[in-house]
Amino acid sequence: MKEKRLSFITLMSALILLLAPFSAALAADNIVIGCPLSTAFLYGWDAERGVKLAVEEINAQGGVNVGGKKLPFKVEVIDTRDLEPGVPVSDALMAVEKLILEKKADFIIGGPVRSEAALAAMDLLSKYKKVSILTTGVLTPAYHARVEKEYDKLKYCFRIHGEAGQLVKEIMACFAELKEKAGLNKVFIMVQDVAHARGGGEIIAKVAAGQGWTVAGTEVYPTGTTDFSMGLLKAKDTGAQVLNIWMDMPESSILLKQWYELKIPALPFGSTLAAAEQPGFWKATEGKGEYTLCNVVNAGNAPSKATDWTMKFYDAYTKKWNIEPEGLGSSSSYMAVYTLKDAIERANSIDSDKIVDALEKTDLMGVYGRIRFNPKNHQVIPALDPKEGAVGTILQWQAAKRIVVFPKSIATGEILLPPWMKK
Amino acid sequence: MLQILIYGTINSIQLALMALGFALVYGISRVPNFAHGAIYVVAGFITWTCLKALGLSYFLSALIAILITGILGALIYRFMLIRVRGMAISEIIASYAIGLAILEGLRWGGFKGMTYTLPVFIAGSVNLGGVPVDIHRLLLIGIGVAVIALLWLFTHFTRIGLALRGMAQDERAALMLGIDSDLMALLATAFGSMLAGLAAIVLLPLGNIVVEAGYNVLILAIAVCIVGGLGSWMGAVLAAFLIGFAQILTVKYLGSHYQMVVALLAIIFTLIMRPSGLFGRQKELEERV
Repeated sequence: MKEKRLSFITLMSALILLLAPFSAALAADNIVIGCPLSTAFLYGWDAERGVKLAVEEINAQGGVNVGGKKLPFKVEVIDTRDLEPGVPVSDALMAVEKLILEKKADFIIGGPVRSEAALAAMDLLSKYKKVSILTTGVLTPAYHARVEKEYDKLKYCFRIHGEAGQLVKEIMACFAELKEKAGLNKVFIMVQDVAHARGGGEIIAKVAAGQGWTVAGTEVYPTGTTDFSMGLLKAKDTGAQVLNIWMDMPESSILLKQWYELKIPALPFGSTLAAAEQPGFWKATEGKGEYTLCNVVNAGNAPSKATDWTMKFYDAYTKKWNIEPEGLGSSSSYMAVYTLKDAIERANSIDSDKIVDALEKTDLMGVYGRIRFNPKNHQVIPALDPKEGAVGTILQWQAAKRIVVFPKSIATGEILLPPWMKK
Repeated sequence: MLQILIYGTINSIQLALMALGFALVYGISRVPNFAHGAIYVVAGFITWTCLKALGLSYFLSALIAILITGILGALIYRFMLIRVRGMAISEIIASYAIGLAILEGLRWGGFKGMTYTLPVFIAGSVNLGGVPVDIHRLLLIGIGVAVIALLWLFTHFTRIGLALRGMAQDERAALMLGIDSDLMALLATAFGSMLAGLAAIVLLPLGNIVVEAGYNVLILAIAVCIVGGLGSWMGAVLAAFLIGFAQILTVKYLGSHYQMVVALLAIIFTLIMRPSGLFGRQKELEERV
């Protein structure tokens, strides 16, 4: 009798344990998306807006279909402050942990935004087995390299926006055009003292030198720098014709103002240049930022007709937030939510391991092209044609407008040189 | 060489403008006003609001900003610092807390991003012996020199100025001569805050008005005052030139990366070699012993 009772209890316990995740998913009222973002900075607030727009659209259509039951998304945002100078990485990790433990996030979308913080958060995500889709800021190639190297441990980490390696390829394609059409061949690199920028600058220096460019020098600036005049004069003294800039701090708009005031005869080309990505850049520099080029990483962050969805997203974002999508993080954060919805519905579950499998099989035509992940490293697959993969966007400020100049498949204009550079 | 001379002078004047207010407050009241950087940023946002949102003239906007920062400084002293005066650690904690509350309050209130800018006084640049310099920076030298000269005249030839100097030299003796110590300290905090406001109006057109500037300005002001000698205004000016030129030489020959390190190293070396700074007197006796 005692043995029978023991067997019954064991059987019931096993059944409860087996069904617990499924019943928990169905019992939950919503699916919580945790967003650790540095909300005082462009790459934070535009990501938050992208996520909230997508969630609002999806919820308006009834939510996400999980096992025949429609569940709405719920967004929880915590300010990681990781883009602010002097804020330690541990603060961002605490924010991620708080989202998981206190806010009961089922998934993480967005950041941490700073590469150093995102790399550190990977182990935390692995510990809690939380699927994360990075959508903003982090450009370091080390992120997907780590996933590939430690796949079993870090398989929960995905990135849906471009990374530094891809950015460099796109920039070098523009450099080749500048070399061919305008005879430019000397570049001066200006980088912010953060991992992705230092790494990106080093890659550009190596690749540019390999393609016949003279690298006149590299200047590294601490985050928060407000005076760039000496660096600009240094660039001028070296005879540089292109300033390659890697900076995500808002103070980078000062660099462009000073470049204009000093009439430095070198074309400013931002690989990441947060200030120049934003529609407010023109006003902030009083038009002095004209001719500045910058890579906004993915289509949809500036107006173009990359896919049928691009301008639909662009207009919806503008209508909801009373401002156009401002830069890196807008379209990718929006697409991450739709990609997650697609994965949950295909997996018919919110179980992390099942979602990882589903995300690896993603094939979705999105705002910036075909969304697919490399199954080995979980980096979104890039392309120059939106039909093939995620396309980037390089824009130039021309007469108060952001004109897309690269890739050619979605370009709306050509690169122009400032008048004081024309011979 | 000319480049170093021109930009070294500009950088030094910038540092002097940032630090004079801090030095003035400490010199008189012996209270290190760690809200100095926050007041600097507030002045920038007030000017921006008057100029861009209310459509007032640049001059009037600047005047309003300077007056409001002066009142803000006086209020900070009257309601907070006066209560902790004489307790060094409490002074630092209280004033830093006020600064932190102001700066983070501004951030929370939506004052973030790069859209808050002030126009330069005169646009364009000139070429000085082959070195391009924007006109605003040249104006900055003139304004800086004028401020230093006016401050000297004020403290040497006006009743309030002389009373402030009397306080700075010996508070007890000043009290015996009928000088109201608390009133003078309040006035010093107000004048110091007005100087921070003036610095903001002159320097911020070269960049953006961002909350982070408050922290940077505070660190630089502290560095200048420690090297110059806490409480010595002329020491602060000389230290500004010392650090200013050292920073420009560092940028020129080592890289921009090390610019901030110069200020921090200057603090460390001064505290090790001569804790009272170049012209400070507070620990002179202990150092001799």
